[in-house]
Amino acid sequence: MPVSLTLNGAPLSLNVPDEKPLLWAIREDANLTGTKFGCGIAMCGACTVHVNGEATRTCVLPCSAVAGKDVTTIEGITSKGLNAVQQAWIEMQVPQCGYCQSGFIMAVTALLDKNPNPSDAEVDAAITNLCRCGTYPAMRKAIKRAVQINTEIKKGAK
Amino acid sequence: MARSETSKPKSSLRRNILIGSAWVGGGLAVAASIGGTLAWRRVANAQKFMFPADNAKSEASFNAWLKIAPDSTVTVAVPRQDMGQGIYTMLAMLVAEELDADWTKVKPEQAPVNPIYGNLTMLVDGAPPAMKSMMGVVSKVLGVQATGGSTSTRDAWVPMRAAAASARAMLLMVAATKWSVPVGELTIAKSIITHAKSGKSAPFGEFAKEAAVLPVPPAITPKPQSEWKLLGTSPKRTDVHDKSIGKAQFGIDVRLDGMLYAAVKHIDLVQGELQAVRWKKGAAPKNVMHEVRGPDWFAVIGKSYWEMQQALQDVELVAGGANAVMLSSPQLSSLYERILNGEDEGLKPLAKPLRRTFESKGNALRTIAATDLKQRIEANYSVPFLAHATMEPMNCTAQIASGKVDVWVGNQAPTIASWLAASAAGVSSDDVKVHTPYLGGGFGRRADMEVVRQALACAKVTGGKPVQVIWSREEDVKHDAYRPAVACKMSAAFDEKGGVGAWYHRIAGPSVTKAYVKRLNPMLAGDDPPDKTNCEGAADAPYRSAIANFHVDHAQVDLPVPMGYWRSVGHSFNAFFVESFVDEIANALKKDSYLFRLELLKDVPRFAKVLDAAASAAKWNTPLTPIAGGKVGRGIAIAESFKSIVAQVVDVEIIGGKQIKLRRVVSAVDCGFALDPENVKAQIASAAIYGLTAALKGKITLKESQVEQSNFNDYGLLSLAEAPEFETVIVNSGEALGGIGEVGLPPVIPALANAIFSASGKRLREMPFVLG
Repeated sequence: MPVSLTLNGAPLSLNVPDEKPLLWAIREDANLTGTKFGCGIAMCGACTVHVNGEATRTCVLPCSAVAGKDVTTIEGITSKGLNAVQQAWIEMQVPQCGYCQSGFIMAVTALLDKNPNPSDAEVDAAITNLCRCGTYPAMRKAIKRAVQINTEIKKGAK
Repeated sequence: MARSETSKPKSSLRRNILIGSAWVGGGLAVAASIGGTLAWRRVANAQKFMFPADNAKSEASFNAWLKIAPDSTVTVAVPRQDMGQGIYTMLAMLVAEELDADWTKVKPEQAPVNPIYGNLTMLVDGAPPAMKSMMGVVSKVLGVQATGGSTSTRDAWVPMRAAAASARAMLLMVAATKWSVPVGELTIAKSIITHAKSGKSAPFGEFAKEAAVLPVPPAITPKPQSEWKLLGTSPKRTDVHDKSIGKAQFGIDVRLDGMLYAAVKHIDLVQGELQAVRWKKGAAPKNVMHEVRGPDWFAVIGKSYWEMQQALQDVELVAGGANAVMLSSPQLSSLYERILNGEDEGLKPLAKPLRRTFESKGNALRTIAATDLKQRIEANYSVPFLAHATMEPMNCTAQIASGKVDVWVGNQAPTIASWLAASAAGVSSDDVKVHTPYLGGGFGRRADMEVVRQALACAKVTGGKPVQVIWSREEDVKHDAYRPAVACKMSAAFDEKGGVGAWYHRIAGPSVTKAYVKRLNPMLAGDDPPDKTNCEGAADAPYRSAIANFHVDHAQVDLPVPMGYWRSVGHSFNAFFVESFVDEIANALKKDSYLFRLELLKDVPRFAKVLDAAASAAKWNTPLTPIAGGKVGRGIAIAESFKSIVAQVVDVEIIGGKQIKLRRVVSAVDCGFALDPENVKAQIASAAIYGLTAALKGKITLKESQVEQSNFNDYGLLSLAEAPEFETVIVNSGEALGGIGEVGLPPVIPALANAIFSASGKRLREMPFVLG
């Protein structure tokens, strides 16, 4: 049975085994490579995408679990222009090797959508992805900067 | 100095004849500062290989290092690999500075594989002193393009600036001729050449085609530091935008027409042979298109990596063979202890150790033996095997078609990748094209390229179709080329003045270089030259200047374990040994950790200055804010590695007597001059977090030659919540350039150990650090 879902705003029918993890359907079948394989046990978060707006690790999430749902990858958020998190990431020059960064950007974007001004403790609790280059100090600054950018955008919109 | 011949393009033959006299003169003056004839020889050769120009873009190639398009886009050949350290940006900056190019129009690009790009600095740095002169004549080794040893910028410093400076002179010559003005009156800013007096100006790209075929001018010297505009600043990295939108391409992202995927499983043993393959259901699943058997691995090829990974769950690999030597971690610890106590025999499964003295002055052993027990101190330290755990698992894509081989692999040595591919495919390395995308982490791991051999073995059976081999995280953790487990015994005697009269440091461990070379090519591993990495940071510890009797020796053992270079290599353990022990001595003498080090560093003022900078930035004497239900502590350490000096102060909290919480790391770094200060700070924090991760979580253990860890659940990484605050101060001494990618790692581990001691009174001599 093909699995139907919305991927980055467009309907998609995936003809894959039900148990195939969404990560591999995204990378192999939809051919979008911004979402990364890191551990395969949902520990590192490199495979994070949004499922109905929630940051979700996809390396152990079967495709059948996202039938009818709205899936957004890093390519999806980028297609609308750089969001505040991406702008802040570039401004603070966060990425080093860059491999884990899509996952972090997706996780932080989902966090700020829900909680526009998280405390350090809330960030610590929500952002549990792993980065081997140790970009955490720059990341912390970038998250604060993204909050600021979002505030500026809201003010501008008023 | 308008020249009539400038309007007529010259043949490359003429250029190459001219270059022999022209560049050598210009290059020597510059190269003398970094020593030796190797550097200028390469400058002289810079035009024997031209960076291939893209004719569709009408690019003009000036030499091996850069080409310029009519729209003034400068494409820089970067012969080093970007694993996150930002080397694409840094080497492009060297060229942009000399050309006064508009930074937004400078594009780094991975250089092709060619001996001109060989990393001479890495070779000279890594070689034992006696071999250095000989190294210069080993032409094959000379041409190895590799990234490691924190050498990339140091190695590029002469040739890339000289290449850009000569291109600048050639561009100016054409502009001067066309405008009939003296070349000395021309200036360049943001890629635009201007003649102020006449008001003429034009982007330099307009002159590129004619300039590139000019004879290379003699006596080129790079800009003096006083004229730098870009170096010493931190422009936006060239890769950060693409890495923030999911567009940067890593090896695992390579997609080719008809590409197949392969999943690999190694035998359970870290070293041994694959003897049999047994499918639990009698045969491979139907979606397996090909099965490939290697010496100690097995791969299945199909249309989906995930499906192939699933298929491997149904296979059992039988391991054994003469190559299989059983070793367990507790057993290795006790063997090390016996070796440190001087035993040479009966150490099965290890052979007799090869003992060597790396540094000796006075008579440390005799002095210590003759000193009253109360005036001596002795301690043993040990560190475990460590995996690199790059975020991007090992992978390689290969295609063999019409006798030509293409390899796409995140690697730290494209030359070696080409050798491995050529040998596996049975072609000449001239028929191999290595494509190097961004590396999802390197840290030394991607210098070891078993995965290239595997990809080629797979590509041989796919009938010309490309195949991408991917390792699971479990394969990566269980089959790394590990940082070795190492142990040491240290002893010291105090003198009457409250200083250190004698220092004896005995280290037991394998030679990483020997292990690496053996994996690369067993034929090359016959000799046992001294491996500088065994004792780096110990034999040359800065305190030796203040200690009359100083001795460092090493007992080298061959371990039946795959091992390789791990960020900062020997410094990753020797700094822990030396800087912890110095702290133990300070404590025994009831002296302040910082002031005691200063005393010992009085004859090496460059070190003292860096130590002062760290202590002052950390407000060493200001007490830490106490916490309820816990203790706080502060530790300091200093280490030189890769020609840079770093001192670090770590503040720590011990909660409930057990939990170690990192509060802050203050670093001071002297790398000569910080060419990109923000990246220097980013790299210091990066390496420090890599070191702190090892200090608090890193442990690969063996049980009967099987690795007990498998993934991030049992080989953990520091998280955002666990990472401390960072502050880094830069000390620009103006000394020769040092490395940056690894240097923030060595001292942070002992600084943490010393902080834990200051908080808890417990001296942790074994990594990773566990309290309670």
